[in-house]
Amino acid sequence: MSNLDLSKVSLRPFKLTDADDFLLWAGDDRVTQNLRWKTCGSREEALAFIREVCIPHPWRRSICLHDRSIGFVSVYPWSGDDRCKADIGYALAADYWGHSIATKAVKMAVPQVFKDLPHLLRLQAFTSPENKASQRVLEKAGFLKEGVLRKYTYIKGNIKDSVVFSFLSTDEFPHDDC
Amino acid sequence: MMERDREERVDLAQISFRTLELSDVDDVLVWTSDEKVAKFCSWEPYSSKDQGIDFIQNRASEFLWGKAICLNDRPIGFISLTSCSATDKSREKSAELGYVLGSKYWSKGIMSYVVKQVMKVAFSEFPHLDRLEALVDVENVGSQKVLEKAGFQREGVLRKYLVLKGKSRDMVIFSVLSTDL
Repeated sequence: MSNLDLSKVSLRPFKLTDADDFLLWAGDDRVTQNLRWKTCGSREEALAFIREVCIPHPWRRSICLHDRSIGFVSVYPWSGDDRCKADIGYALAADYWGHSIATKAVKMAVPQVFKDLPHLLRLQAFTSPENKASQRVLEKAGFLKEGVLRKYTYIKGNIKDSVVFSFLSTDEFPHDDC
Repeated sequence: MMERDREERVDLAQISFRTLELSDVDDVLVWTSDEKVAKFCSWEPYSSKDQGIDFIQNRASEFLWGKAICLNDRPIGFISLTSCSATDKSREKSAELGYVLGSKYWSKGIMSYVVKQVMKVAFSEFPHLDRLEALVDVENVGSQKVLEKAGFQREGVLRKYLVLKGKSRDMVIFSVLSTDL
């Protein structure tokens, strides 16, 4: 896939017609292992998940290549006094790893998120210390690593340390050289 | 650390913890009315008995665990644990530590002694807990020293993590694990 054209990577809301493409990556344990998502088991589950979770979500986009879904970027804002912050998460089909697609997707998402969520001051991301690729995505996208939070959270029954990154509304966007 | 209150040295053996009673309201108002104490808290200083009673009757019992810090059985502060599951269901094995102490009792080693005791109580009374954490304003150096002396580990600074009194604040995050003790 050495001639993958990053200009064909786009973000858009999910559609029910994404179900088959969705199942390809959301049905892959390699993709979902660091997510809270259960690995998707069937086309019916994919349809239900898109209809009940992805579409009503406050801010979720499909990462698309030639308008076909190959992953997602999600931003979940906190509420009330805490609406100054939001959590960003993302995943990409395993076949497309290693081509800076996730980096491109996050770089596209960040300015749009700050436009769409006017109270937002801080976008934060939590990754597993072992997930070096995900940490590189955030660094290349201009996030600042703030520290390692020990035994911070549980994912699929396992206690995890979390590396925390942030991007502030006042931070500079990195140069566009994915 | 300066020993300007040498004649008011506190015997740490006289420190204890108990539930706040309505009869404690005047002692509670001593720290709630102090703007030095309120500076890094989410609340503005207050001296009204009604607000003091509201704290004792309603707020103090909302915590996973919350006790008055007493000197010779008189409240001089308050210390609490809040389950992190309130904001994130996957974080029920973490609790956030919060505390407040009358300014007359600062810089005597009382707060770090208290935190050390509460760390042990927390993990024994709540054996499901893996992690205690605390968030301290970057400018609140005194409180950062309390946690370091008590054995908490500084993990980093979370930029613009909270909005306090209308301003966004950078917060230092500290933690202690049950396995650290």
